[in-house]
Amino acid sequence: MPERPKSTPIIDCDVHNRFKDRQMSALWPYLPRAYQEDVREWGINIPSVGYLNGGDRGYRGDSWPKEGFPGSDLDLMREQLLDAYNVEYAILLGQELRPLSTLPNADYAACLARAYNDYLLEHWLSTESRLRGAMLIATQDVPQAVEEIERVGRLPGIVEVLVSNGARLPYGNRYYHPVFEVCEALGLPFALHTGSEGAGINGQPSVAGHGSYYIENRQVRPQGYMTHLTSLIFEGVFEKFPKLRVVFIEGGYAWLAPFLWRLDADWKGLRHQTPWVRKPPSEYVWEHVRFTSQPLEEPEHPSHLLEVFKWNRAERTLMFSSDYAHWDFDSPVDAFPRLPDDLRRRIFYETASELYRFHAQTAPVPDLSRSTTSEPV
Amino acid sequence: MERCVIGRISEFAPGSRKIVTVGGRSIGVFNIRGQFYALRNRCPHQGAPLCLGRVKGTTLSSKPYEYVYGRDQEIIQCPWHGWEFEIATGRTYFNPHRMRVKTYEVTVESAGADDVTLETFEVTTEGEFVILHA
Repeated sequence: MPERPKSTPIIDCDVHNRFKDRQMSALWPYLPRAYQEDVREWGINIPSVGYLNGGDRGYRGDSWPKEGFPGSDLDLMREQLLDAYNVEYAILLGQELRPLSTLPNADYAACLARAYNDYLLEHWLSTESRLRGAMLIATQDVPQAVEEIERVGRLPGIVEVLVSNGARLPYGNRYYHPVFEVCEALGLPFALHTGSEGAGINGQPSVAGHGSYYIENRQVRPQGYMTHLTSLIFEGVFEKFPKLRVVFIEGGYAWLAPFLWRLDADWKGLRHQTPWVRKPPSEYVWEHVRFTSQPLEEPEHPSHLLEVFKWNRAERTLMFSSDYAHWDFDSPVDAFPRLPDDLRRRIFYETASELYRFHAQTAPVPDLSRSTTSEPV
Repeated sequence: MERCVIGRISEFAPGSRKIVTVGGRSIGVFNIRGQFYALRNRCPHQGAPLCLGRVKGTTLSSKPYEYVYGRDQEIIQCPWHGWEFEIATGRTYFNPHRMRVKTYEVTVESAGADDVTLETFEVTTEGEFVILHA
């Protein structure tokens, strides 16, 4: 474990909080009465694709608390992450309920999102001042998603709206625009986290369907992100919502510049088909899109990453993430090649601090029990 | 190189392991089927506590769609990113010539008054001790 002198504070943009038990019993009180019997009988019941994962059941082997799942024990999270690496803010992205947009039942999915957001505020964000959280929405029913963002999106501690890379439609599609409208109005970034590719009601994980093995499934992440990024630009989302920010989490980073070179080149001859795209596609990215770092690519010569960082304008677009407590955790001290101090500050602190306006959001998290609209029993 | 007495042989049942700190280095000592091994407890990849990993065998390189499990108890898998190391040599399974973790010699013998002890037990010349050469 790292035993180093107190380092400069960092921001970790991808941390996973879990429920203690597989049944997620802490969530049940936040569900409407109508669902409680069902959940008791059937469980929370969210589709997954059925791939294996890595590490110790998906987690760092040393991150299992005495009781319950990794990420469920705040004291251990403090010890292994917040204190160990001087994390000033860690953004919680949940775990079990993130794939709720894969459910066929839109109303049940929307209820789960509401219940999770209430649980997140009460069980996590109000118990540790370094924690911030991403609120979930169910994309099956956009009006309910908008309502939910309006309900909890203003509450202190909530810093972004989170969906999965796996989806039914590329995220630039006009179907989602009401979500962007409310995100922009409330100053909340719209964030995508890897996952749910090919699960439940979602589209196929790649243009050729499902690969056989988990390692193949990991490599569809950039494919999805390329699809969403192109869609967001060419559907005119950033023209329509000029203050919107989008965060791509855990989907790779080194692919970005070569992809944008191609996109900018294509745009020169094809822009007339989407004339609302007024600028080279890359310019929308520099202004509107941010990427988290983990799992950072590992070129044969680590110094090659410094070249990639130049191409990708890492000082504007890259934000550190550890993915604690997953097995592919990136250590803040050992995952990166040696960086110039100013670039390191940008990646490990400043870009995230600006995006999430942390300097303006230091008010204590208030008692949120009155804000819940579900019916705890 | 120091001779460090790290315990009585009776404390190291086959299948057990102990993490000790010698000269600021964390080292894992393993008894695997009666044979002792020691590895640096820091993965060369990202600094994870390697010696907390699973001791196991692995699927040997094979033909497509063929699974051959072997080398039972000879491999340790890093608890973070899953890199597999041969416990006896510290070499990685995926690149044994270029990526490895440091190993140390472990012997079982009587201890002497000059030996360094890492524990508070009394070292006598009677009985056998596990001695790490690190």
